[in-house]
Amino acid sequence: MPAVTLIEAVTMAMAYELEHDRDVVVLGEDVGVNGGVFRATAGLQQKFGKERVIDTPLAESMIAGLSVGMATQGMKPVAEIQFLGFIFSAVDQLFTQAARMRNRTRGRLSCPMVVRAPYGGGIHAPEHHSESTEALFAHIPGLKVVIPSNPSRAYGLLLAAIRDPDPVIFLEPKRVYRLVKHEVEDNGEAYPLETCFVDREGSDITLISWGAMMHETLLAAEQLAQEGISAEVIDVATVAPLDVETLVESVEKTGRALIVQEAPKSGAVGSEIAAELAEKAILHLLAPIGRVSGYDTVMPYYKLEKQYMPGVDRIVAKAKELMEYV
Amino acid sequence: MKTFKLPDLGEGLPDAEIVRWLVAEGDTVKLDQPMVEMETAKAVVEVPSPFTGTIVKLHGQPGDVIQTGAPLVDIDDGSDAEAAIPAEGPKFQEAAASVQPAASASQSGGSTSGNSSVFHLPDLGEGLPEAEIVRWLVATGDTVKQDQPMVEMETAKAVVEVPAPQSGVIAELHGQPGDIIKTGAPLVTFGSIGDKGASTVSEAPVEAEETKREDAGTVVGSVQVGNTIASESEHQVAGKTVTPVIRALAKKLKVDLAEVTGSGPGGRITQADVRAAASNKPGSDKKATVSQPRAAVSSATDDPLRYKASPAVRALANRLGVSLAACSPTGKKGSITRDDVRRAAGSGAQPKPQVRQDAGLPNVSVTASPEPVRGARRAMANAMTASHASVVPVTLMDDADISAWPKGTDATARMLRAIARAAAVEPALNAWFDGERMERLVHPTVNVGIAVDTPEGLYVPVLTHAERRDLSGLRQELDTLIGKVRDKSIKPQEMQGASISLSNFGTIAGRYGTPIVVPPQVAILGAGRYREDLRLTERGISKCRMLPLSLSFDHRACTGGEGARFLAAVIADLQLPQ
Repeated sequence: MPAVTLIEAVTMAMAYELEHDRDVVVLGEDVGVNGGVFRATAGLQQKFGKERVIDTPLAESMIAGLSVGMATQGMKPVAEIQFLGFIFSAVDQLFTQAARMRNRTRGRLSCPMVVRAPYGGGIHAPEHHSESTEALFAHIPGLKVVIPSNPSRAYGLLLAAIRDPDPVIFLEPKRVYRLVKHEVEDNGEAYPLETCFVDREGSDITLISWGAMMHETLLAAEQLAQEGISAEVIDVATVAPLDVETLVESVEKTGRALIVQEAPKSGAVGSEIAAELAEKAILHLLAPIGRVSGYDTVMPYYKLEKQYMPGVDRIVAKAKELMEYV
Repeated sequence: MKTFKLPDLGEGLPDAEIVRWLVAEGDTVKLDQPMVEMETAKAVVEVPSPFTGTIVKLHGQPGDVIQTGAPLVDIDDGSDAEAAIPAEGPKFQEAAASVQPAASASQSGGSTSGNSSVFHLPDLGEGLPEAEIVRWLVATGDTVKQDQPMVEMETAKAVVEVPAPQSGVIAELHGQPGDIIKTGAPLVTFGSIGDKGASTVSEAPVEAEETKREDAGTVVGSVQVGNTIASESEHQVAGKTVTPVIRALAKKLKVDLAEVTGSGPGGRITQADVRAAASNKPGSDKKATVSQPRAAVSSATDDPLRYKASPAVRALANRLGVSLAACSPTGKKGSITRDDVRRAAGSGAQPKPQVRQDAGLPNVSVTASPEPVRGARRAMANAMTASHASVVPVTLMDDADISAWPKGTDATARMLRAIARAAAVEPALNAWFDGERMERLVHPTVNVGIAVDTPEGLYVPVLTHAERRDLSGLRQELDTLIGKVRDKSIKPQEMQGASISLSNFGTIAGRYGTPIVVPPQVAILGAGRYREDLRLTERGISKCRMLPLSLSFDHRACTGGEGARFLAAVIADLQLPQ
């Protein structure tokens, strides 16, 4: 089994589907000759040809519109937006066409398409390149929003996203693109969507996160363990629709929940999780539902991004605060 | 002589403005000595000297905008070489670090072609045709290590550092800052074998490694690269080792992992096993609960998770000292309601033990409830909060020698008079200050707020026109005010308009303190408990009576000198016999 990084796992999953499903096409800016802005599509055009790995003009609205057209006609486009910050001109197509095609046509047409985009901060990028706006997409009925946190999940979840009969926004946490490697068997086995993954078992507090923040959250759990606090860690993975059941079960067991997200605090995926837990697990809560997040301001330039993004210290401190709550 | 060029001050910014020079032409500067303050779009930064020498020429006046890479200072360091030295090396490491691109990024296009040892400009990751040299981080003749940043190049997207593809000696730099280099054109020539004994291109292992290194896709920013090989975490469920994915899938498909036989390596359960088990289940079994063992629920009665109760109910139980174990649940789904808690409390159910002991003294349970803060105590809290939020306090402490006072001297009246006289000497402390509008009002009269301690809280009646009253007049007015406070007949107007305050806490206890200035006032004098002391005088040791004083003032409104002069005037007046 090859040991691959998260981005290599993304490439592997696309290559597998291009190989095994003639309906799959990959398109986006510089995905062909150049191999993608982060090299996610490196080598795919050489292997599968210009008709299946398509370099598009610099026009995100067109990329999404083209994908909607192909998807409704039975193809399975996998589009790349270079950075999530550039997706906004494609949002019209995604929200008003892709997300509601099945509903609009009463099931006659659907949109089996994937829009991939690197997202999140921590790589010293300029403006517009570091935001975490997953909540925008999570809010729209008809869109699934999937965020892998490690190479195995990137491979398994991207395969599942491509095979899903409806549109999936697949957000890749670019800070951890090359941070860690997993041995991933290239066997085409998809992971289930719409389910959380329990990455660490614990009994005192449930730490809930997704994407790049899973890295800090697992480190925080390790540090808490050394201080005698047993943290359960859950990778949400599919942030829309949410697997509330797994989250509630865990919080019923621990009595405390701490949500860790890189996005600004307000109106975020973490807010939705907190609301669900308040509705469904209130009788078991021993402390308020805690949140550690970015701040309600524009993601700063790179000199301050470390201050903006939750670190292990902030997570540990908040977890302890919840543990001490009477 | 060397020319020091303005380095990139760390933001990839094109220029910076000279704020002020910290050196002049002819000055001798040391390595790392700050030479000039430059303002970028981000901050004002001091630019240190890259070498020791004498300043020959300063290029620009305060207010001038200097382009990054343009000459800033000419320095004579005694070297003959007329070399233009870009900012480099350790002094700017911090700046360089913040623009560091893909850490160990090598470049796909970058290659030293065979033995020619010429390094060509690689594609910096955007498929861009060219890039501009921002500044060289190395000079001809330098020995560089593999991956050491050699040059900052600006593409249409960002400024990126280009690392050395190999270790070796720099023989030639192909271009000056500002030059545009085509992708694939020569950038750096490395020295031939034997130069300074440095290892060079022909060293096979280096080359082999070079070809193996991955293309990290140098784009905007830098993606951290790690080589740790991890794998999906694993847990024990129903005595079997499974990954989170298997567990999640089983839960989703409502399959009991205890009944699944693993077909994977080492008997591991695979996704296919779980799916097969799901399809074999009888349709009527849909409601079957997943028997993944939840963490064993503690049977201890002190485990709060044993009981279903809303946070409000838990709070009530805590407040009434009732253990949830003592409540009989009547709520939905077996939850404990507030009434259940109240019933348990009313029935004298065993109170929640506060101290757990196996033997010895019996448990004692005490309930203390918070009470709302009202009236004078509340006003104090608000005033103190306002003070803390705005005032920048300084407290000076000193003693007045009051040995000369005749018996029966009215200490408070003397303090009031001392304040009034000190205000004449140094009016700046008998003033109001508005930090938001940046206004100051120096009072012509001295109206002293006097802190009076009562069981209800702190009252501060105002003794007006202290400067016009003699000692007996001050005492008379003081008695009137304190009488009104005691019988609560004091009017709000009589507690407003103080221009300065006095806190005579020494009547209770305390030597020095840090009295709190109450805005808009800018000063408060605190008097501690007097003491008998031995003092060294010119005539030897003498016994004296010392009155400790603590003067706090708002440093936004008063200078330290004003504060000290005021305190000196207070002391001078207090030390008079009469």
